[in-house]
Amino acid sequence: MLDLIVSTLTQGFIYALLSFGVYITYSVLDFPDLSVDGTFPLGAAVTAVLLLKGMNPWLTLVCAALAGAVAGLCTGLIHVKLGVRDLLAGIITMTALSSVNLLIAGSNLTVERAVDTIFTSAPVMAVLGGLTLSGRKLVVSLVLVVVVKLVLDLYFRTKSGLLLRAVGDNGTLVTTLAQNKGNMKILGVVLANALVALCGGVLCQEQRSYSAVMGIGQVVFGLATVIIGVSLIRFFVGSRAAQGMRKIPLLRFLASPKGTTAVLLGSVLYKFCIQIAINAGLPANMLKFITAVLFLLVLVIAGRRGEEIIHA
Amino acid sequence: MKNLKKLLCGALSLSMILALAACGSGSTTEESGDAQQASGDVPVIGICQYGQHGSLDNCREGFLQGLEQAGLVEGTDYTIDYQNASFDDNMAIQIAQAFSAEDAALMVGIATPAATACYAAAEDKDIPVIFTAITDPVGAKLDSGNITGTSDVLPVEGQLKLIRALQPDAETIGIIYTTSESNSIYSVGVYEELAADYGFTIEAIGVTAQSEVTQAVDTLLAKNVDCLSNLTDNNVVGVLGSILEKTNEAGIPVYGSEIEQVKLGCVAGAGLDYVQLGIQTGLMAAQVLTGEKTCQDLPYEIIENYALYVNSTALAELGLTLPDDLAETAEEVGA
Repeated sequence: MLDLIVSTLTQGFIYALLSFGVYITYSVLDFPDLSVDGTFPLGAAVTAVLLLKGMNPWLTLVCAALAGAVAGLCTGLIHVKLGVRDLLAGIITMTALSSVNLLIAGSNLTVERAVDTIFTSAPVMAVLGGLTLSGRKLVVSLVLVVVVKLVLDLYFRTKSGLLLRAVGDNGTLVTTLAQNKGNMKILGVVLANALVALCGGVLCQEQRSYSAVMGIGQVVFGLATVIIGVSLIRFFVGSRAAQGMRKIPLLRFLASPKGTTAVLLGSVLYKFCIQIAINAGLPANMLKFITAVLFLLVLVIAGRRGEEIIHA
Repeated sequence: MKNLKKLLCGALSLSMILALAACGSGSTTEESGDAQQASGDVPVIGICQYGQHGSLDNCREGFLQGLEQAGLVEGTDYTIDYQNASFDDNMAIQIAQAFSAEDAALMVGIATPAATACYAAAEDKDIPVIFTAITDPVGAKLDSGNITGTSDVLPVEGQLKLIRALQPDAETIGIIYTTSESNSIYSVGVYEELAADYGFTIEAIGVTAQSEVTQAVDTLLAKNVDCLSNLTDNNVVGVLGSILEKTNEAGIPVYGSEIEQVKLGCVAGAGLDYVQLGIQTGLMAAQVLTGEKTCQDLPYEIIENYALYVNSTALAELGLTLPDDLAETAEEVGA
């Protein structure tokens, strides 16, 4: 049971990196970015190829994020500079990337156990050598996701971060501040796709494999986690527990969680829903159905509460 | 409603706390796995099948038969935990991790993505992994380590002989394959290598998605190929019905690569019997499960013998006749 929770949490933490990316485009920028299905395997392909070439596993992640940023730049430029609609700009990048990924990786790749990943590299072993591999995977992915989350939270407070949020909420305001709305959009999409590719890279190291079809459905996953997470947080903020916490100075910061916390929670919850469905022991064909029912349950519970708050 | 909400919050926070506790106690889990087996619990075999697919189902059924043939009895010697990933790589990952969490004695991956996911999840506890229905285990780097199994490499030579026997004047063979399936790329390579020996040239077209397959058929027909030959490419075989519609109209035969395809209307095929492949896999798994051999002792196996399948109805429609010597050995599978 504990093993299962550890591996499911690990998946949730790793995939939260992708959810952060989707959160930036979908929730902050109000930009439905479909490039995700292409940039996720792009990150994995870059990581797999570089790992097999013997590069330092942490460095491969930097390269993966950079590759994702370039792909995001393409989507941004196609939308802003060429005036293609946001959905289509993403589709164009995603389509092109499926060929680019095959060019980079050649075919599906497996990274042998002899090759070091971020979970087995020397610095990690020095600190966490006493843990099992799944324990190390959990700690490393937790640290990674918390660091990324904190950096994002800090960024959203800077001038550039505030402008980014303003683009999604009220584009005209940004223009009246004599700032270029288009450039901010491009920056947001670049950042988002760098995170998505980073997620692909980490997953590639965790799974020791790259497959050309691993990107299918990732944008749907990302959207689901953002919506689940945000609904849950909204439900929590209105709850008595949160109201009580607001009165206690030390706990006050916990009472109004950030959007990044919300999607992190959403990602973990999503993976738990799937794991519960797998463990329910129902016929294999029912797996997706059970997952759908669990999501509906979460959303309805959170949604009801939201209504109560509005009516109160 | 309120209680439900509290329950949900409670369950979530509990899982977080448990997970943190698990980090600390992680190093003891290995021993507990061994202890469980020593105490006489029935070992669990976790089967992760990549998706709902006739050939893969046959593989799994054959595998279970193989375990029985090896003299093992379900319930006393092993129990089966069967999961199907519905062609979803992420689902396969979580299924494999669930197997590892329940300290499965053996994991079985049916088709490459399932086997890769099992192998990754098995690393921590070094659980042996058995694969089947992988065409190129060397290319997939699943040929060494605590993993072995059976390969469904196509009997390409047999297929070329069959086509030559049925169509003595044929020159070009059309093949449609998915560019992202490493198994298909490997098989096309084998076709191209051997075709000249039988006086054929290969016209191969790559697709990236199932929706492009029918367009690829049109392209091949426009290039006047003499026949089509199928691989075990899931994307392509998945729309076999619409492929056959087009080729029948053009009067071009399609050769299948396994029994299910010939049943569906391919004229003939030199193909694998996936049940047989599964049985062979089950026999290997039994040796590993009982501790008689380890995966390292058992190199991966391929099926040496292939079967000939024919569909007389489809043959007659296209005016083809099966030579007598082949008719004796071929199995009629048409409706």
